[in-house]
Amino acid sequence: MTNGDQFRELIEAYALGALDSQERSSLEAHLAEGCADCAKALDEASWLVSQLAYLAPDAQPSEMLRGRLLHTVRAEARAGKSAKSVSAIPFWMWGAIAALLLFTTYQVWETSRIRVTIDSVNKTAEEEIAKRHALEEQLAIAQREAIILTDPRSVKIPMGTDNKEMPQLEAMWHAKLGIVVSGQTVPMPSGNRTLQLWLIPKAKDGKPIPSMTLRPGADGKFMLLVTNPPDSMYATKALAITEEPAGGSPQPTTKPIWLGTIS
Amino acid sequence: MFLAFLASLGIGTDSREVSPDAALMKNLLRQDVNSFEQLYDRHSHTVYALVLRILQQAATAEEVVQDVFLQLWRNAAAYDAERGPFVPWLLTLARNRALDHLRLKSERQRRREDQTDELPPVASAPEYEKELDERRRVERVRALMDGLLPQQKRAIELAYFEGLSHSEIADRLKEPLGTVKSWIRNGLLRLKEGLQTAS
Repeated sequence: MTNGDQFRELIEAYALGALDSQERSSLEAHLAEGCADCAKALDEASWLVSQLAYLAPDAQPSEMLRGRLLHTVRAEARAGKSAKSVSAIPFWMWGAIAALLLFTTYQVWETSRIRVTIDSVNKTAEEEIAKRHALEEQLAIAQREAIILTDPRSVKIPMGTDNKEMPQLEAMWHAKLGIVVSGQTVPMPSGNRTLQLWLIPKAKDGKPIPSMTLRPGADGKFMLLVTNPPDSMYATKALAITEEPAGGSPQPTTKPIWLGTIS
Repeated sequence: MFLAFLASLGIGTDSREVSPDAALMKNLLRQDVNSFEQLYDRHSHTVYALVLRILQQAATAEEVVQDVFLQLWRNAAAYDAERGPFVPWLLTLARNRALDHLRLKSERQRRREDQTDELPPVASAPEYEKELDERRRVERVRALMDGLLPQQKRAIELAYFEGLSHSEIADRLKEPLGTVKSWIRNGLLRLKEGLQTAS
């Protein structure tokens, strides 16, 4: 499960309906995972937000609205009651009722058949919606990466290597949007091993902070987006990439292949 | 007075059991017109004031209020009194309907995915909340909001009454996105603290 702390500060804005789409999607995914603390906080925040209604200046609707509504409601109530009332059924009508029952049975069977079709169509629609959401997520990530790569406020961090067979990598760090690390012609790590990014803190005795893992594509290209780097880039001394077992490691187990110092 | 006396004896202290609104909503399940009439008379002015503030047009506001109350009448089972009080749920429903209406008028917003016919979930009242008559509730919320920084109040109002997102508010106010997020979060937290203290 995702750590709920990072989502906790979004709850009030979510209840208010003020989150932008990416944050909203992330939080909804987290809530769907069943985080009880966030669900409770959302419940409380929803109540809090509802109290804002009392900021609206006092106003009274017209008497005409009241009349229209009561007219509609009374008519619907009458129609409901008359539908429920039971009248005496003449004896000769039982034959017709039997025919009707037969017809109804056929209708139930037909309805069941149609329902199966509808379920199938609904399932297809849900799959298409899920695909569209996935595409939207990909688009949001691509847009975020593009902004980080092009924004003049992003800081460029070249990542060099001692291994002459390895290409140079490059990282761009944007204070608000995150870090993008990209490279080309990067060899695939052997077996199930993976590459892992580390943030090396400036603090003396500070341990490397594990970040995301990655494997380049078949063409050796990769682009890695880190959406939640530390608040201040200047608390970080360098970025490093090591080769680690599948799934990454809590602390580096090999020497860095790439290292980029933050000046 | 009688309810207070019962409460002092520890009888009938669960406000959900004695809530007149919950009882009236239950009656709507058997299409009781008198109960609907009472619900309308108790809450139509609050719902209308909210919807009018959002839509700024009396005729359209009345259309939406009509839609909200007909939804109560036709979908009374959607309200679960066990989960929370009626009025916050009704106000959330009214706000959602009014904002949907507002967005339908805007081509830019027409593509938003969050327009829905679904009824909102019922939110339970927090532990610090106590029963207040509506006039005192209004005065309390208004006083607390007036105590916020003007920019905090403005940002919250833009989100609540105009349905704007963080980035839309930042554009409108020409302020950095992070600043707007802080205003809204800190403003709501101060409102919550104020409500806790007042209780």
